[in-house]
Amino acid sequence: MAETKETSEKDEKPKPRVRPIVRLGIFLISHSVLVSVVCCTAGVLALFLLPVLAKNTYISENALMPGSASPMLSYQHVSDGNRLVKDLTNLDLKSSETGIESQRVIAQYMLELGAEVSFHKFHAQLNQFHPLHFFSSPDSGVIQENFSCSSYGINTVGIIRAPRGDGKEAIVLVTPYNALKSGLGEAVSVGIAYSVFSLLTQVTWLAKDVIWLVADSRYGEYAAVAAWLRDYQIPKFSSLSTLNSEMCPDINNLYDLKVNSIAGSKYSNSFRRAGTMAAALVLKVGDQSEQYEDTISIYAEASNGQMPNLDLINVVNYLAVHRQGLRVQVEKLWSLLNSSWLKSLGEIFESLGKVAKSLNPEWKFGIPATEYVEGTATLASSLYYQALGVPTGPHGAFRDYQVDAITLEISPKYSLDKFRRNDILLRGGRLIEGVIRSVNNLLEKFHQSFFLYLLTSPSKFVSVGVYMIALALLIAPLPMVAASLYVDANSLDSKTNKSTPSTIADTAERGITIRSWRWLYSAKLVFAVHVWGAIVSLLPYFICQIPDCSSTISFMIWVVLSMISLLTLYSVLASPFSCNNASQEKEWALVKSVTISYVFIGLGLMSVINFATAEIGALLMVPMCLLARPLKFDLRAGSLRSFSRMVCNLVLGLIAFPPAAFFLLKGMLEDFGSVNIGDFWMWVESLWAWNSATYIFIGMVYLPCWVLCVHILLHTC
Amino acid sequence: MQKMGKQKNKTASFSFWNWVIASIIFRLILIYFPKNLNLASRPEVSTPLTSFRRLAEGYWLKQLSMSPYAGFSFCFFFFSLCPTFFNFFFILIRQKKEMYLIFLVFGYSGSMYHGSPLLLSLLGPLTVKRIEGQPNHLLYSLVSVIADVVSAILIRATGKNLRLAYLRSLESLDIVQQTKASGEFFKILSPGDAAALIYLWNPFTIVACVGLSTSPIENMAVILCLYGACSRLVPLAAFGWVIATHLSLYPAILIIPVIFLLGCGPDAPPRKLFLQKNNKEEVLSKSKLRLGFSWRPITHFAFWALLWSAYVLVLCGISLKQFGGLWEMFKSTYGFILTVEDLSPNIGVLWYFFAEVFDFFRNFFLIVFHVNILFMIMPLAIRLHHRPCFLAFVYIAIFSMLKSYPSVGDSALYLGLLGWFVNELADIQFSFFLFCGYVGVSLLSPVMHTLWIWRGTGNANFYFATAMVYACLQIILVVEGVSAMLNHDRKLRNLATSKPQDAKS
Repeated sequence: MAETKETSEKDEKPKPRVRPIVRLGIFLISHSVLVSVVCCTAGVLALFLLPVLAKNTYISENALMPGSASPMLSYQHVSDGNRLVKDLTNLDLKSSETGIESQRVIAQYMLELGAEVSFHKFHAQLNQFHPLHFFSSPDSGVIQENFSCSSYGINTVGIIRAPRGDGKEAIVLVTPYNALKSGLGEAVSVGIAYSVFSLLTQVTWLAKDVIWLVADSRYGEYAAVAAWLRDYQIPKFSSLSTLNSEMCPDINNLYDLKVNSIAGSKYSNSFRRAGTMAAALVLKVGDQSEQYEDTISIYAEASNGQMPNLDLINVVNYLAVHRQGLRVQVEKLWSLLNSSWLKSLGEIFESLGKVAKSLNPEWKFGIPATEYVEGTATLASSLYYQALGVPTGPHGAFRDYQVDAITLEISPKYSLDKFRRNDILLRGGRLIEGVIRSVNNLLEKFHQSFFLYLLTSPSKFVSVGVYMIALALLIAPLPMVAASLYVDANSLDSKTNKSTPSTIADTAERGITIRSWRWLYSAKLVFAVHVWGAIVSLLPYFICQIPDCSSTISFMIWVVLSMISLLTLYSVLASPFSCNNASQEKEWALVKSVTISYVFIGLGLMSVINFATAEIGALLMVPMCLLARPLKFDLRAGSLRSFSRMVCNLVLGLIAFPPAAFFLLKGMLEDFGSVNIGDFWMWVESLWAWNSATYIFIGMVYLPCWVLCVHILLHTC
Repeated sequence: MQKMGKQKNKTASFSFWNWVIASIIFRLILIYFPKNLNLASRPEVSTPLTSFRRLAEGYWLKQLSMSPYAGFSFCFFFFSLCPTFFNFFFILIRQKKEMYLIFLVFGYSGSMYHGSPLLLSLLGPLTVKRIEGQPNHLLYSLVSVIADVVSAILIRATGKNLRLAYLRSLESLDIVQQTKASGEFFKILSPGDAAALIYLWNPFTIVACVGLSTSPIENMAVILCLYGACSRLVPLAAFGWVIATHLSLYPAILIIPVIFLLGCGPDAPPRKLFLQKNNKEEVLSKSKLRLGFSWRPITHFAFWALLWSAYVLVLCGISLKQFGGLWEMFKSTYGFILTVEDLSPNIGVLWYFFAEVFDFFRNFFLIVFHVNILFMIMPLAIRLHHRPCFLAFVYIAIFSMLKSYPSVGDSALYLGLLGWFVNELADIQFSFFLFCGYVGVSLLSPVMHTLWIWRGTGNANFYFATAMVYACLQIILVVEGVSAMLNHDRKLRNLATSKPQDAKS
């Protein structure tokens, strides 16, 4: 008996010996306020430090060997290309009824070079909202409906078989060309591609097939390329396409003419394929640039913030700068370039760098202020386009099939008159030739260099290992605050219980049993709000079905329906404003704790899917979640600290509401006068049309989090 | 007071059936959903053992009078790496008749089906039968739904049994009053209802059911075994055990909890406690609780188990008579499980390890990994012998963590069984952490898989990292569960021993 008593005492009072790591955890949790302030500031600071920490790019894959061979593209090829440009422009002037004529001319030229030529017909696919597309693989869900013949587009595809290859691999060159209304730029881009193509039919070093796709961009460049890729990657076994082409006389005409005119050529009526694609280049020639040099802009962002392998950009950058003397640029957020606060921040970093250098000349820290501002502007646009999740060009379609692709847009210094045109054709052609030759050297697919990176300039990048630190610091306080709130809520609970008169053992037990599973109620509320978030994200699917609905009205309907569904869900699943008993006094703390945990999970997930969205989301959500506290308490306390916290809460609660945040950003970047309520609807529409995960993030993580934070703010208990 | 309690029970049971019906409707909605969900091809849902496609393949091979185990097949791993071919295959598989040809075209040898021949004869016809205008595999999905519901009902019945046993033991210890205060859940939701609802509404169960895997049926066999043992239906228990073992081998170790269940009845506090109590207060009659270990039901069980296994083997032998017989079956079911031949990624930890390990160490590590499970049997059996159902839960959790081809269906089973111990595990530690962990991992794992397979920006390590986290979570769940259970026993002992003193003072 005595023995059992002794053991029971031992059980009740465990030895206070705790392992160091646990002690560290307890320490962090108990000082969660300090830790969260420090971590959040460090996270924001780290984000602003990224341009300073950017490294110079280098070519990681040795096999690429860019620029090691001298370019073979001669003036002969250039004049060939020029001839095509002239023909195309003349054709344009003569007649532009259906645009079939220009396709035929291009095909003719290809055939003369001895390439395999085929036409690819496609339907313009309407961008519809398909909620399940987010979760399915990129190529499922092709909808074949009745299309009229008028919505056909025709891509022209030319393939050169490599003399040294086994036909297992291919390099793709894409030139978007709108036959209906082509500018000179598009014709020149076709000319450049043609000159390279004509060279490649002669060279002996080619080990990968070369596919030249002249994408019919009358329904958009992306749609044409995506349609071709879909047919390339997914073999069709239905006879639907052939049937369709028979029904449309126009296209049949085209074939008949083709076959009749050049008998015995390598023209084929069916879809032609080469091997798996090693890389793809989309070539465009833009209008006259505002810069003082010939510039070449690189667009790399594909859907959901995916980037091509950095080596591809490196090769282009290296060849353009060091071989062809072109100026390379990537997208910038121009409005940031003139901001004074960024400049002063850059100066601070610069001086800090100088101090560091004076202390130890080994520390090469800090960059000039102007460079910092430029880097930040580039980084911001890099983040912005990745966060949107909308591809910045037709190259985005390739990334869905794991093919590395970029869009190159050449903007000449002067207008494209006849003399300048040759120069552009030569330099552009040599650049493309060099890139193709490098990729041709590749033994495996691009894998050596980074896939996850942010560009701060064409030759500088921030890798995943560095930029993740900023996000990690930002979201690190979340689990700690959640844990401390959880512990707090429970300990308070057991304290209140202790006042009841009963034996000690009894209270301890009761406290424990309630304590361990009490979070379930809060989890129920959080779950209900997340279900609501899912419903809100699905609503546009139904709103879209309403015919003749302007964007403003759609937006209004959306808001109203969301409100109604929120109220019904609240009343059915979780009654938020009722305090059942005194023990639930601290319920808001548990709700906050559960909310924060879910925000942490959501942000962690999103950081893997699309880092930029997670980072931008975290900048808004983390302070909002951490600061949230019932306004009633702050009002009651009446001190300066609580008052300022209340103001912060209110401001954050207002700003962080998604439409409010959108309008605010839009107003800041453009002009407040031009802001229209329907704009938000349009923006959201573009997000789901491109299957952007950002849409899901906003609907299922961000919005519920905001609602829960407001719920905590308005908590009455 | 009692009336009120009764009413409450009534409403609880009413809402229970509502929830069951709601869960069936939910499943049907998911089944009727467009094919976009594609759950059947998820590695989390369909392993080489439970995959629906392999079942269909096995059935077709058998129809073509070939051995279902020696079919032409392809390397799944290869296909999961090549999106193009994967889709190629998918389109072709719809045109069933050509499927056989395609395998010839691809020419990858190896076996495809690794399940039981009985499943092939029972479920095989359902894989091809279709009703006009209905989803493709409606009949098969309906079988899974029914299996889930039956499992839930059996879980509920077992839970009621356990609750009665728990109450009885509390009564015999005279500590009903004290524990009433702590039994909040107890009043609201009896453990049976809780467990059944957890099982039915667990996203893992739903996904396994809608994803057309065979794990609902395997789970049903396990639950049938436990139910039979709990309600002392020896033939049923033996049948469940034999079928479960036949289907997925690992439930074989459940024979230990079943023996304890049959030998000394369902979960109760340690026997020592009753003995002490009895020594102290002679009032308590021994007839109230059977404290001894009775061998009779166990011999019964052995007899029935032998009978059933002979029956199953004979049936298998008949169905495989032309295709190499039983030996072929053992080789490509149990052999396949034990030698971890298929290294396609799944949520377990073995595939990665055996993809990395040198060939000459392979046998050694195979032994190590399998003995790992066996090592844990004895200590747990000794420590938890007084709570056989909980022991079964722990065993199931352990083997669904360490088995060679785990799927979420296995987790669904042990998470459902967790509901049985709502009262005992009320003060489990880290419950919130575990919950968040499960939610996080089950979301993160498909994302990592996409990153690796579809986007190509990640690699195998990304996906394996989530698998490791998942394994860790399961370990924490088991460890915390066991320690909470032991604490609960301790608490009961304290209550039972300290009560008279309180009364005195």
